Amino acid sequence: MRVLGIETSCDETAAAVVEAGPDGSGRILSQAVLSQISDHRPYGGIVPEIAARAHLSHLDRLITTAMTEAGVDFADLDAIAATAGPGLIGGVLVGVSTAKAMALATGKPFIAVNHLEGHALTARLTDGVAFPFLLLLVSGGHCQLLAVEGVGRYRRLGTTVDDAAGEAFDKVAKMLGLGYPGGPAVERAAKDGNPARFAFTRPMKGKPGCDFSFSGLKTAVRIAVEQTGTLSPRDAADLAASFQAALVESISDRVRRAVTAFREKYDGTDFVVSGGVAANTALRMQLEKTCATAGLRFVAPPLALCTDNAVMIAWAGLERLRLGLTDPLDTKARPRWPLDPDAPARPGAGVKA
Amino acid sequence: MLILAFDCTMAACSVAVWRDGMTLAQAHEAMAQGQAEALTPMIAGCMAEANVAFDALDRVAITIGPGSFTGVRVGLAAARGFGLACKIPVVGATTGEVLARGAAREGTVISLVDTKRDDFYVEAFTADGARLIAAEILAPGDVAAWIARQGWPAPFTIVGDGAMAVAGDDRVTLSDRRLPDPAFLAAIAATREPDAAGPLPAYVRPPAVTLPA
Repeated sequence: MRVLGIETSCDETAAAVVEAGPDGSGRILSQAVLSQISDHRPYGGIVPEIAARAHLSHLDRLITTAMTEAGVDFADLDAIAATAGPGLIGGVLVGVSTAKAMALATGKPFIAVNHLEGHALTARLTDGVAFPFLLLLVSGGHCQLLAVEGVGRYRRLGTTVDDAAGEAFDKVAKMLGLGYPGGPAVERAAKDGNPARFAFTRPMKGKPGCDFSFSGLKTAVRIAVEQTGTLSPRDAADLAASFQAALVESISDRVRRAVTAFREKYDGTDFVVSGGVAANTALRMQLEKTCATAGLRFVAPPLALCTDNAVMIAWAGLERLRLGLTDPLDTKARPRWPLDPDAPARPGAGVKA
Repeated sequence: MLILAFDCTMAACSVAVWRDGMTLAQAHEAMAQGQAEALTPMIAGCMAEANVAFDALDRVAITIGPGSFTGVRVGLAAARGFGLACKIPVVGATTGEVLARGAAREGTVISLVDTKRDDFYVEAFTADGARLIAAEILAPGDVAAWIARQGWPAPFTIVGDGAMAVAGDDRVTLSDRRLPDPAFLAAIAATREPDAAGPLPAYVRPPAVTLPA
């Protein structure tokens, strides 16, 4: 079984082909990614119209590259999958429109993939993780803890009630003049910094439930920046390290609580972290420790598959295809598309919850 | 030459399956948005009605704008998808070219497309379809006076959904061509040499964003 996947929901344009063997295990045949970071850098964040234009400029070439590198033709595919949300709708529509057209012309099924489900199921491709498992989805657009019961079946245990973790990184990087994107920039600066110099409160630590909040931490960093005055490289490094330490400790506290909640209902043994912020080494190391203490296997897909990519969309499409879950050509793209539709909305987090 | 032509750059979704001057099937639905949902099923319906298989197509034809940014992208993305899957060239035409085609026997044809931002995309052509200006943005105001000042030959025939900008002005004649007809688009695409890079979108207006201070 072989699926072409397309990803255009944020600032990466990507296409990939994956296949599953008779035993169900997956294999990546090709992947082509184009990052738009340099297009957006001057603006200090993603500009939706610029992103949408860039997706259209590059997508067809990336599809050709992915198909050629995989050594397959459209006739060799079993389905065409595309991210249909959540995300920036202008970009999503580029991928969905291209995929629907290719599906119609080739007579192959179209599969509308939830971008978050792509992140959620990647560890099943890379590490053969079985359902159910505990998932931390941590990116520029989301910060959620979910019990993954099966394909299309998620129970949200916790979510950010305001900013996403990656968003906090971006905003702190801006305050410290470290540039965009903020995650890698803050991590680099933090490496030489003293994490104990600024005693930021660990958000939500010790509070019941598994929700996250990063808006207060962001404000605390802003106040510290203002009080410090002109920032020396040392100040910026210490602020970055102190911020990162607070964020990591907060997330790890929430994960510990989620493990307990997960165990009350499920007998799964795997903890999976995915999303762009999973690339943060300090966070990974702390989560590994937390999992070791809790007796869970820690699974983090390779970095390139944690950030936005099309392999995860192709794989989620393949998982859905195996269950006969395909979508009609009049499927509507969805800017907001929660994995757990029964979880209550969080007004402060909007589409992030 | 067998061509699949479609348009979603303005307030509609329109499809034609066309062969050598004959429209085999055509569909049109007015809609302010929702083209991304309506387009592919509409194409499937037209192909079935025309009794044509996708592998029999010679070309895909698409309006590249100017018009709605999202509509331009939905159309071009789908056209490229068909081009890739069927391994056939994609040929583009501007909204003005399609609107103006054969719209007048003499004088000048001017396309006015509502930008939905209180101004108009304007293109101009001779009666036999030669382009007079590249697509540009025309501020609201005395549009008829602007047209009269350009020194183009009269009479002036106005096409496009921005025609209300000159309604009631006796210096111009309003055509009933308000939206691009995909059959005209196919006719243009049949005689146009495909570009190796494929057609590019004609946004005309840059993204509305300013650099931080």
